[in-house]
Amino acid sequence: MKQNSITILVPILPDKVQELVDQLRDIKRNSLEGVSKDLDGLSIIHYARWVVIDNGKSWVNDNQKREPKLLFVVDYDGNEADMLTALCENSSTIIDLIYVFCTDYPALNMITTEGRVHYLTSHVIKDSAVYIGAPGRSVVQIQQEKRLRNYIREFLDASSWKGVPAQTIHEEIKSKLKASNDFTFLETEKKPMPKINYLGMFLLGLVLIVLLPFLLIWVLIVHFFYEKKDENFTRKRSQLDNDFLNDLELYEDYKNQNQFTQLVDMKVGKVRLISIKFMFVLTNFLIKFLFNQGNLMGIPTIHFAKWVMFDDNSRVLFFSNFDGSWQQYLGDFIDNSGWGLTGIFSNTKVFPKTNFLITGGAYKEEYFLAWSRNSELVTNFWYSAYPDLSIKNVNNNTRIRVQLMKKLTERQAAKFLKLL
Amino acid sequence: MKISDASAAKKWLSKSWQEMTSARYIHDKSKISPTHLNIAFSHEGLRQLGLKEENLAAFSREFRQGMVAPHRTRLLGDSDESKPEDWIWGANQNDSIDLCLMVFGNDKTGKDDLEKDKIVCLNYYRELEAQFEENGLKQLFFIDGQTQPDNKEHFGFRDGISQPIIEGSGRVGNKDDVVKAGEFLFGYKNEFGVYPDAPLIVKGQGNLNLLSPDPRGSGLKDIGKDGTFMVMRQLDQDVNKFWSFMNENSKNPDGSINEEESLKLGAKFMGRWQNGAPITLFPDKDPGPHSDINDFGYSKFDKDGLKCPFGSHLRRANPRDNVDDHGRKISLKLSKQHRIIRRARLFGEIYEGSPTKITPKGKVGLLFICFNADISRQFEFLQYTWSNLPKNKELYNDPDPIIGVKEKPSLGEEQNFTMQDSPVNKTFKNLPRVVTVKGGGYFFFPSIIVLRYLSTI
Repeated sequence: MKQNSITILVPILPDKVQELVDQLRDIKRNSLEGVSKDLDGLSIIHYARWVVIDNGKSWVNDNQKREPKLLFVVDYDGNEADMLTALCENSSTIIDLIYVFCTDYPALNMITTEGRVHYLTSHVIKDSAVYIGAPGRSVVQIQQEKRLRNYIREFLDASSWKGVPAQTIHEEIKSKLKASNDFTFLETEKKPMPKINYLGMFLLGLVLIVLLPFLLIWVLIVHFFYEKKDENFTRKRSQLDNDFLNDLELYEDYKNQNQFTQLVDMKVGKVRLISIKFMFVLTNFLIKFLFNQGNLMGIPTIHFAKWVMFDDNSRVLFFSNFDGSWQQYLGDFIDNSGWGLTGIFSNTKVFPKTNFLITGGAYKEEYFLAWSRNSELVTNFWYSAYPDLSIKNVNNNTRIRVQLMKKLTERQAAKFLKLL
Repeated sequence: MKISDASAAKKWLSKSWQEMTSARYIHDKSKISPTHLNIAFSHEGLRQLGLKEENLAAFSREFRQGMVAPHRTRLLGDSDESKPEDWIWGANQNDSIDLCLMVFGNDKTGKDDLEKDKIVCLNYYRELEAQFEENGLKQLFFIDGQTQPDNKEHFGFRDGISQPIIEGSGRVGNKDDVVKAGEFLFGYKNEFGVYPDAPLIVKGQGNLNLLSPDPRGSGLKDIGKDGTFMVMRQLDQDVNKFWSFMNENSKNPDGSINEEESLKLGAKFMGRWQNGAPITLFPDKDPGPHSDINDFGYSKFDKDGLKCPFGSHLRRANPRDNVDDHGRKISLKLSKQHRIIRRARLFGEIYEGSPTKITPKGKVGLLFICFNADISRQFEFLQYTWSNLPKNKELYNDPDPIIGVKEKPSLGEEQNFTMQDSPVNKTFKNLPRVVTVKGGGYFFFPSIIVLRYLSTI
């Protein structure tokens, strides 16, 4: 089943912002018995979050007046209408409790599931690039494969296998599973791992080579006519606002997974817009062809991430759901993914100084870490369907499943057992 | 210690900086004076000394907040018996600590003799102690930091073998251990090629001529230059729990202790044998007396963890040339971004644990000390990302078996140690928490010039 992502942006009634923030806090506080339980029950939602934006000062001291808005982001299985219908049917109370504070929400005494779905659908904004760490894996499949792996692990732990050939062990695992009747999905559904598309990569490479002269000229134009005039971010982490960091930390590092929401403003002008759009197109192709193995530009810890442009392409949102602690981890990715992060974010206002679009920027570690933290937003509510699994676990579990069902040679079987 | 009289303390600093160790004699340690000091300040200590609020605010957030801020406590895994509310020092209910004075003594008359060294040290300490009051200092408590001749900690393993070499320090050694100076000292570039986030004097005070300018070119003076942060944690070690677990999980079919297997299991958990030899190079048994072997990697001979398991304490804390599934070069680069310089001192009965020697008298443990310029990316990263998170490498439910285990895992949460093996991996379940945190703090460890500067504020 295909995974999809949706972003819904709704203006908040100006005098109801604080009430909404408080409401989201209460919903969060009671989520284990409330909305998170509902979402668990749907079994089609991987991640979800609500974020109140434009409520307070802009981080670049932009004095443009902004109306507070509510973001709703969902990573889910299947098609949009089915997901929203299921959500609005199952969690109608929560949806009403939240959106009653937003503009043009239908009156509560006459609202229907269709009304709610229609309201949400009419406020969808388009995603620019979406990354999925385990493409093709539905929530149900991820849970099934987790159960499968744990079951096999228990089985292996229960006896000694010293001297037993790997092939024999592989076969014994298979018969054990067959006998248990709990894993019939293994027989009925074939689920391959996604593969790197080498032909696609080759063609993409060709296109880039053909475009190279234009790209070089473009980069020179950006460098000499734009980058030199940029206002750059030159604060260190120690110079960031304490209270804001307290607010962010309040929601972080409880489980093995965390969320990240970021909002930045585009630099003005067509050149910057074309640059970022080009980077998104490139990123989308790379995600499709190359980054389909649980690794985004060398970052092996992201489950779902995406970039969204809105307000007439004047603003960029970035969302990520990942393993570990962003602040601690971010530095580790600079070497591998600095060019990509820089290529995208150098087109947004007040970024660490860049040269030729993809150098400098993220490679200026201290400023980049501080920039990343400073442009982050407090995520008011966050849901994860499988907080106990890392993205590596998810992909490894699928590998186990795929190999399990094959006929293996002794060597292949030995390799299979290493996955467990 | 507490600063009871700031001007007296500053007067003392204006002379005592001469007794602080310096790097001057790194090539010839025999020239180091037989007695010497080191000094480190907490954030509150710098305030008590008279550093202005604006300047105090220029230090890194980790240092300003201290080890017991709620978010830091969560990252560090200081819960249950390790919760700051039960700490004997460094937490909110304890006396606030201003500075940490480290007193060293070395008997120069004969060969290495820890007993004689101690007498020199204690005499020096008593001399200093007699003047604490007139120097504006009040001792809150002291820890008798002991060492063993072969540097063994209480579980019985040799400690402190692997240390990074600061680039440009003049120390020589394995090039994979040479780390950019900015990882450990402010004022130099770090492994990312940029200057670390050093504290700057934003509001003028004291004799600024003593200080170097900010190398980033802000025009401000750098109070961090040649200094670093010191992390200290007092760790109780439960020797009985540690070796009982090894004994239980390696026992003979008749239930008796299998000493050899128990030692081997302990070594698998740790990553080295008790005598220090790395299990990656000596997978079958301890090759015998003291080993300082440190020139090895995992990528070539132990990629699958069959010798040194992925989850072992030392492989996690310093994965060398095999980080996650990265190649050798990137791995080494990543490893170097998370190195710390470690020092340890023992407290309690000097006790060398083993499968047959498992119950020391009273509490024993280790005072963990490390130095780093970026507490978040170095010490805290090691404790959280590589130790507490059970998702290291391809692992599922495996926290660091020595320092990452929780006493009370949440419902359904497993805490295992996986030993990569052929034909199938082995799982050791229900790990016990063998190390409990009893105190700790983040300190600023200034250079000698900056100490002189601090005496002028």
